Amino acid sequence: MFGKYGRVTGLVAMLALMVAASIPVGGQAAAQAENVFVYVMDSTIPELDPSIDFSNEVVVMTNVYEPLVWYNPPGSEELVSPGLATSWDVSDDGMTWTFHLREGVTFHDGTPLTAEAVKQSIERTIEMGQGASFIWWPVEEINAVDDLTVEFKLSYPAPLDLIASSAYGAWIFSPQAAENGTEWFNEGHDGGTGPYMIQSRERGQNLVLTRYEDYWGGWEEGQFDTVVFLIVEDPLVRQQMIEAGEADFTLRLPLENVETLDDNPDVNVVIFQSYQNLLGFFNTRKPPLDDVRVRQALSYAYPYDQLINDVMMGYAVQAHGPVPTGMWGHSDDLPQYTYDLDRARELLAEAGYPDGGFELVWTYNTGNLDEEQAGEIYRASLAELGIELTLQPMTWEAQWDWALSDPENAQDIFVMYWWPTYVTPYDFLFNMFHSEEEPLFNLGYYNNPDFDELIDQADALTGTDRERAEELFIQAQEMLIEDAPALFLYDEMNIHYLRSDITGYVPNPAYANVVFVYQLRR
Amino acid sequence: MQRWLGDIIRRNEARLLEYRRMGRAFRRDVLAVASLIVIIAFALGAIFAPWLTPYPEQGEGEPNLSEKFSPPSPEHPFGTDNLGRDVLARVLYGGRSSLSIGLMVVVIAVAIGTPLGALAGYFGGWVDELIMRVTDMFLAFPPLLLAIAIASALGNSFTNAMLAIAITWWPWYTRLVRAQTLSLREREFVAAARGMGVRTPTIIARHILPNVMTPVLVQATSDIGSAILTGAAMSFIGLGVRPPTADWGAMVSTGRVYFLGQPWFAAFPGLAIFLVTLAFNLLGDGIRDVADPQTRRSVQ
Repeated sequence: MFGKYGRVTGLVAMLALMVAASIPVGGQAAAQAENVFVYVMDSTIPELDPSIDFSNEVVVMTNVYEPLVWYNPPGSEELVSPGLATSWDVSDDGMTWTFHLREGVTFHDGTPLTAEAVKQSIERTIEMGQGASFIWWPVEEINAVDDLTVEFKLSYPAPLDLIASSAYGAWIFSPQAAENGTEWFNEGHDGGTGPYMIQSRERGQNLVLTRYEDYWGGWEEGQFDTVVFLIVEDPLVRQQMIEAGEADFTLRLPLENVETLDDNPDVNVVIFQSYQNLLGFFNTRKPPLDDVRVRQALSYAYPYDQLINDVMMGYAVQAHGPVPTGMWGHSDDLPQYTYDLDRARELLAEAGYPDGGFELVWTYNTGNLDEEQAGEIYRASLAELGIELTLQPMTWEAQWDWALSDPENAQDIFVMYWWPTYVTPYDFLFNMFHSEEEPLFNLGYYNNPDFDELIDQADALTGTDRERAEELFIQAQEMLIEDAPALFLYDEMNIHYLRSDITGYVPNPAYANVVFVYQLRR
Repeated sequence: MQRWLGDIIRRNEARLLEYRRMGRAFRRDVLAVASLIVIIAFALGAIFAPWLTPYPEQGEGEPNLSEKFSPPSPEHPFGTDNLGRDVLARVLYGGRSSLSIGLMVVVIAVAIGTPLGALAGYFGGWVDELIMRVTDMFLAFPPLLLAIAIASALGNSFTNAMLAIAITWWPWYTRLVRAQTLSLREREFVAAARGMGVRTPTIIARHILPNVMTPVLVQATSDIGSAILTGAAMSFIGLGVRPPTADWGAMVSTGRVYFLGQPWFAAFPGLAIFLVTLAFNLLGDGIRDVADPQTRRSVQ
């Protein structure tokens, strides 16, 4: 989703300083107790209600709650594997899904996992209508067939196995616990089935998990008893913490320092392809960008190699359309725009702008250095074509409001990251490029009925004929790349830093920056 | 001609003597003179930046990625930044936005604050009440927070940041000038002017304002430093100048991320902020000392 980097104000910076000042204490305490895993994160944990959470809480939720199925890390044979459901089947028309639940699972409040609890969990999420509840739109009816069998009737075919593996909005929780309400969750309680329970939470500072002794998976020697999430905004403090052993895991350190950390025998640097990409929407409703030749010219005018090698230090790859590298529905055979100013000049001349002569505004998230540098190198390149690019840093809200106001007066290029709610190409293609009557996330206002039809068809096939669906998704992306409604900049790599005595870490880009602490040993 | 000039000199003899005394006292104040030199040096550096650096295009923002993060060297005495730009060039160009923010904020604040303060002090009564309650409202907010609120409402640009800071600053001058005016209003020369039938606007312009300018000047000089700091703070959180325009605050903000590996990027603009702010403060102290020998003596 969006707005991950929407941390802006001085208040937040001050908070970070205060937290930073308090760290040595927490770190020492953590080092004394043996079986504590310390995850140092860069952003707050806004929401703990399992029906609403839709942001960085995912790093906590995945250790406390479980979905019916999990999405697998790349390289696995199947896309998904059992979670609270051990098996499932789908009817031939893709309209009825049946999940068989795991036996002997209890919620943290001691009540057993039943089909009725699954039904009530998902119905609560749907009824509240917040966060990622939209993933359940295709569901018409949920039936508890017997104690351990749940049946979903859909109103149109949809990949319910993928939906049930969503990183947001797919948690199964104790209906009794949920009766306490959202505020109860946010005080630092939970109603999950996962290996850890929320013990305490200090808003904006930390959150502590403790092991759930009756976890259905059982416990072995060497697994962690306690998990501490610490919020530290300043990347340099995070770096010092991982180097000093006060953190067991951290992320988002300056790319320039990756090599130094890699040379440190105490720190293990894990680099892998994420499902997050950066793109810049062209405003397709506003001249001169309403002309496809101008958009193509501007796509040829981007210095991709500089962006990848010099700004991102090689920790990203140039995008092939909007579906990120490594995800199903991505194809390396899709064409890419290359940096070619001559071709850009030709196209501009064809469109009637032989010497450029227009101005464009590039809006990006205040304080996001990658987006800023991406703009600065583009500015220099466009200047050679006689096009003036103004870089306008804004808060996410201000940037978004402007785009939603009036397309004809909105910014020319809207820069943002996208990552999937659940892993399907449809998440990228539908949200960002399907025509919308009122703009929401289609912030280049792209409108192509052929494209819409193609991806809707592919989505309907995803549950039953994934290969065919993938072909259609790739075909749709070809259409997009030709129409150039956006600059497809890069697919980002995640860089995670662990203490080298931690074993068992398998990164899974479907759950952004999540560490499944249950799998780890020290 | 001769007579006319002589008249002026005679009429202003006392004042000229006073200026000469102040000049001598100032020159004896080593710190103040050094501060003035530092400020002039930075100002000249900002004005003549394009001729002082071999990389004016980098000062204006042109990336030069092949030299990203070069450490300080003869070619780049302050090293290069995250986009390979010469940090010295950026610091020189950054002086343009930082120094002009400092100056303009103070000029705007003085221009708003001084007349209001004189009005409040001279008339008293409901005029005083009204103006003072308005200043109280502004002073009730922490200044940086108010500036941030105004700048984010207006949208971020150099001019808006400047206006936002100035708006949080003027009430201080109103208070200062009001206090001075309150006592001046009772002095004999003002009473005499009033008795002779001089009109009120003339009294304020001729007799009150010239006499409050010294404390205002002292205050303004030290405030330039604080205004530069506030401007840097605004740029630091992304509400000041737009990239790629160089700005000391923005450079420190970006550079701090790289401080462990590439300390020069944040250190040199940080040093510039430090030096200029300190210089303006010391200069303000110096001016106060020479303008008002009493405080100097009492301090010593």
